[in-house]
Amino acid sequence: MRNDSALDIRWPAKFNEIPKEVFHRADVYRLELERIFHGPEWHPVAHVAEIPARGDLKTGYVGAVPVLIVHGDDSVVRVFQNSCAHRGTQLKTCARGKADKIECPYHRWTYNNRGELIGVPGQGDFPRDFRKEDYGLRVLRSGEVCGLIFVTLSDEAPPLADYLDNTAEHIARAMGGDGRLKLLGYQKVAFAANWKEYSDNEGYHGPLLHAAFRMLKFAQADGAQFMTPHAHKVNSATLAVPEPSFIEDGSVVEGRDPKLPPHNIIVSLFPVTIITRNLDVISVRYATPISPDETEVHYAYFAHADDDAALVQHRIRQASNLIGPSGFISLEDGAVFNRLHVGSASDGTVAFQKGVRGPIVAPYALDKGDEAGNLIRWEHYRQAMGFARD
Amino acid sequence: MIDAGVLAGIDALQLRYLRALDVRDMAGWAGCFAETASYICIARENVEQELPVAIMMDDSLARIRDRVTYIAKVWAGTFEDYQTRHFVQRIDCMSGGDGLYVVESNFMVAYTTARGRSEILVVGTYEDQIELGRGDAKFRAKKAILDTVTTPRYLVYPV
Repeated sequence: MRNDSALDIRWPAKFNEIPKEVFHRADVYRLELERIFHGPEWHPVAHVAEIPARGDLKTGYVGAVPVLIVHGDDSVVRVFQNSCAHRGTQLKTCARGKADKIECPYHRWTYNNRGELIGVPGQGDFPRDFRKEDYGLRVLRSGEVCGLIFVTLSDEAPPLADYLDNTAEHIARAMGGDGRLKLLGYQKVAFAANWKEYSDNEGYHGPLLHAAFRMLKFAQADGAQFMTPHAHKVNSATLAVPEPSFIEDGSVVEGRDPKLPPHNIIVSLFPVTIITRNLDVISVRYATPISPDETEVHYAYFAHADDDAALVQHRIRQASNLIGPSGFISLEDGAVFNRLHVGSASDGTVAFQKGVRGPIVAPYALDKGDEAGNLIRWEHYRQAMGFARD
Repeated sequence: MIDAGVLAGIDALQLRYLRALDVRDMAGWAGCFAETASYICIARENVEQELPVAIMMDDSLARIRDRVTYIAKVWAGTFEDYQTRHFVQRIDCMSGGDGLYVVESNFMVAYTTARGRSEILVVGTYEDQIELGRGDAKFRAKKAILDTVTTPRYLVYPV
């Protein structure tokens, strides 16, 4: 493959090695925004449980592009650019809100919550061929799986169902079977790490980095990891969690959901979104690259619509303390993201080893404790970026 | 009007609390809480939207003591350590009866990294319920509400 990126990246011939410079270079980052975040990939931006009623809205980003996700009064969820069609002013500044109408403060151009322009002061002085119909908010291509709203900025992205390969069934399992969720809240944090260091987490490190896994004697009775053709990764295992002896409140690791015995389900969608079910915690981690050196992650937590009050309360208590940026069994992940980024500002390559048995080819099945699956993500990345191997 | 002696007892507890955190004396931190107590650290965004998930939800003394275990035994050796300095200003105090006081304070926490750079970690308000008995004052409830909804790093220590 020719190097069509015009960047002087030397990509090693050895398929398990990744050049460290891709974690730091500003020109690489700019190309990632263009070819991946603004390119033919799909990105989850909200779950309908975050905007359950007509008029509800949420703001977010796809790469560097601000987006506005709106539950219209016609019950249709649309994703717009968060930018006035007139002069480009940011329309909504809140993280979540409610609006029957969306009014730009600059010249009071007003849109309904379907994105149609309905009011323009001073139209008498506009060019004669001005038509409000031509200046609605730009509707981005979007789709929904289990209530999770995906958007792409590219006309070239494949249909969402094809893009997700067979991950939809695992997304559904993580989301209580059908995605009928209720929002419980957010944890938001900035990591001083490149987005690829954040998303390069794998199954190898689990019991090694996280002392809680060992101290709790977590046993994954069965489990599987597989990669998909579009470089998504699914880890799924049932968990046996003995009554912990070294902490006083064992509810933090107790499985109480009668519909799903203790499970660990992690669906890592390329490039950066992670949908998880850890014990009774249902979570979507939306990540946004801020720069080559910073990644912002919003952990959204949910209950299921059929939960009784006691189970909802249990999910709230477990979500708050177990698996977030300050979580009992997860805080160390953030530490490693940051430490990877400091360490990778050095020469050479990083080299994956666990589970590497040769070039990774379909059907992409791996042991649950392998790190080799990430090489499929890296190969997808390399090709998307147009970097030729040595 | 709250008696000056009561205010002095309340302020002494706040100082004991922030000193424990700033010297990373986690047993001392846990010792600021009553037998029936809660510590919640939560983003203001969640509070305003009536979303209950917190960043730390230690709604019993058992969970408060477990947090000491997390820091000392579970996470030890993995995280990038940091030095905090807490600055607290009491802005309201009301009696809740029976020796219980409802206290609101502003706080700002600066942190210094191993490289010696200092930044603001979090800013927010404490909503506290403090009991003044015969001995030292104790927190029956301490809620740290973070204006800093997106924290500039992961929080290891309570605020």
